[in-house]
Amino acid sequence: MFQQGMVTPPLASGQALRLDAVTRHYESPGGTVRALNGVSLALDGGSFTAVMGPSGSGKSTLLQCAAGLDTPTSGRVLVDGVEMSGGTEAELTRFRRNRIGFVFQHFNLLPTLTVLQNATLPLRLAGKRVDRTQAVEVLTRVGLADRLDHLPAQLSGGQQQRVAIARALVAGPRVVFADEPTGALDTRSARQVLALLQEAVRIDGRTLVMVTHDPVAAAHADQVLFLADGRLVGRLAEPTAAAVADAMTRLTDQAARGRVAEGV
Amino acid sequence: MVFWLARASLRRRAGAFTGSFLVLLFGAVMVMSFASMLDTGRGTGVDAISSETLTTMGSVVGGWGMCLVVFAVVSTLGLSVRQRATETALLKSAGATPAQIVRMIAGEAALVSVAAAAAAVAPSYLLGRFLLGLLKDTGQVAGGVAFAFGTIALLVGFGVTVGSAVIAALWTARQATRVSVAVSVIGAATGPVRLTWKRIVPAAVLLIGGLYLGVLTVTAFADKGPDAMPVAGQACILASMGLALLAPGLVRATTALTGRLLHGRGAAGYLTVQHLRRRTGQAASALMPIILFTGIGTGILYLQLIENRAVAATGYLRSNEQQNIQTLNLVVIGMIVVFACIMLINTLVASTTFRRREFAQLRLAGATPAQVLRTVRTEGLVIVATGTVLGVLASAVTVLPYSIVRADRWIPDLPAWVLLAIIAVAVTATLSAALGTAHRMLRTPAVDAMAP
Repeated sequence: MFQQGMVTPPLASGQALRLDAVTRHYESPGGTVRALNGVSLALDGGSFTAVMGPSGSGKSTLLQCAAGLDTPTSGRVLVDGVEMSGGTEAELTRFRRNRIGFVFQHFNLLPTLTVLQNATLPLRLAGKRVDRTQAVEVLTRVGLADRLDHLPAQLSGGQQQRVAIARALVAGPRVVFADEPTGALDTRSARQVLALLQEAVRIDGRTLVMVTHDPVAAAHADQVLFLADGRLVGRLAEPTAAAVADAMTRLTDQAARGRVAEGV
Repeated sequence: MVFWLARASLRRRAGAFTGSFLVLLFGAVMVMSFASMLDTGRGTGVDAISSETLTTMGSVVGGWGMCLVVFAVVSTLGLSVRQRATETALLKSAGATPAQIVRMIAGEAALVSVAAAAAAVAPSYLLGRFLLGLLKDTGQVAGGVAFAFGTIALLVGFGVTVGSAVIAALWTARQATRVSVAVSVIGAATGPVRLTWKRIVPAAVLLIGGLYLGVLTVTAFADKGPDAMPVAGQACILASMGLALLAPGLVRATTALTGRLLHGRGAAGYLTVQHLRRRTGQAASALMPIILFTGIGTGILYLQLIENRAVAATGYLRSNEQQNIQTLNLVVIGMIVVFACIMLINTLVASTTFRRREFAQLRLAGATPAQVLRTVRTEGLVIVATGTVLGVLASAVTVLPYSIVRADRWIPDLPAWVLLAIIAVAVTATLSAALGTAHRMLRTPAVDAMAP
């Protein structure tokens, strides 16, 4: 379905995303919550990485810090070799616009905008020229050519997520982040969405980082990173669903034992 | 069961009900304090003239106040019910029958309005006593008349407040629950408000009534001098209410007129057009109080200014009676205008708070906070510009006829600053309520603001 060079030519490889000793602490009434505890990683351009871990392991925080939606307490985030300066929200937004696409579990399409308007919204907000033909091409690739003027509420969950993927890809970002992109979908829609994300990597050369709890979804990636208590605790290359499930079971048991040992 | 659900919903979302509560409270104070004039007028030992003045004051002025209160309550509660369309749809899909939902929403309205009416008793007592003092000071009521606050004030106050709140909730809730679950989920996202005959017919009656009173001023009351004042004064109230009822259609017309202009204004203009097109109901509920505020405020203030100038032109000093009429007019207009202003601010705060999620989605899609605020400002400016133009139009049915009667010219030879001041207040109230609330929404990080 994806043909080479339809959106932008494949991007050169090289480091697309790098995290140096990233920590994220929150103050809560019960004391300091260490959501991320010194995470370092480097991802090559054109790679597909899944991030997994028990709930509360800090996966979503990791994704949000890496995507500039949250600011790390300490450490550095580099996208495409450029350091994300933890400045104002406006500065972070401008940084994200050209480099980062994001796909959310709950789609986050604007209810007042049509499919085509939603897909081109990032371009309008960035003050760029909206190339309708190109936008229609992207939407055709995600299989929504006949839904351009529909509102999100008139679409199924799977269709909405495909609009969200088109929106994440339309500005040609180097890195695309996906937070449980199949979490709210049925099996068939989930497969379509994963295929689209995979093709964005294989054919367009985007770098994809996906948080998921589903071993089948994680098996679509080149590698799986495991996170527990805010630290990277393991890596699985060439994952299969069964191997991922095994690793997750071990990790969840360890976490449970750890909690018992700490008397929590 | 339903009562329990209503109470739980009130407790969990106290913030959402504060707006409705405030409008109900101010409305109840206005109705109750004027109704206490009727109680006072029925007291023993009140002479006939004093009694008549008090009764007129209570029924005529109180009656107009009551109309405005009913209008405000219906629109405020209607807005809050529409904003909960998603929740209603979820309740329905969880197995609640439409009748249960209607009872729950009406139950909430009853609880909030009883609380508001109860809270209104003490301030109404004070305001009623102040009004009586004013009437005594201006010599319209004998000095010996004792203030009374009794059955009529309480009956009318509670009756109007609770009655209009419950009826408004029942009516809107029934509309909201009539559609199927699937459609109401879609409706929650698109929220169309159409201009139905239920709006057009009363709007036409009010507009024709306003025009008729305007015509009556220059015909039957042409040589009656100041006696034409109440006739002319009521014209702009009717016309403003008529136009306010047509708000959804007027928003659509404005969108069509300004669409091309706004499209050239970057992302903010583009988003404004889409918002006005798809959230007509939300924009309309903000437009209504702007029309009422500008229409009634401009109409009655210029009416009084024309009268003052006419009296000055005769070379005589103003009589005591004329002085009294002016004082009363200003008190009444002050209350009505303040009430419309509260309704305006409440509507904008409520509908902007409702957009927390939408603003977060915009930011996640790449909008800077400044772009979100620019969008809110553009929307506010379009609505307030439309509202003030329509309000000034509505005030014309009072101002032009009375100017002919008293000054023999259509356009009164009066300073424009009163009009400019009214417009300035409307613009300031609209923009500060909308932008202030949006600013508050933007303080939460976008990712956190997405949480339901």
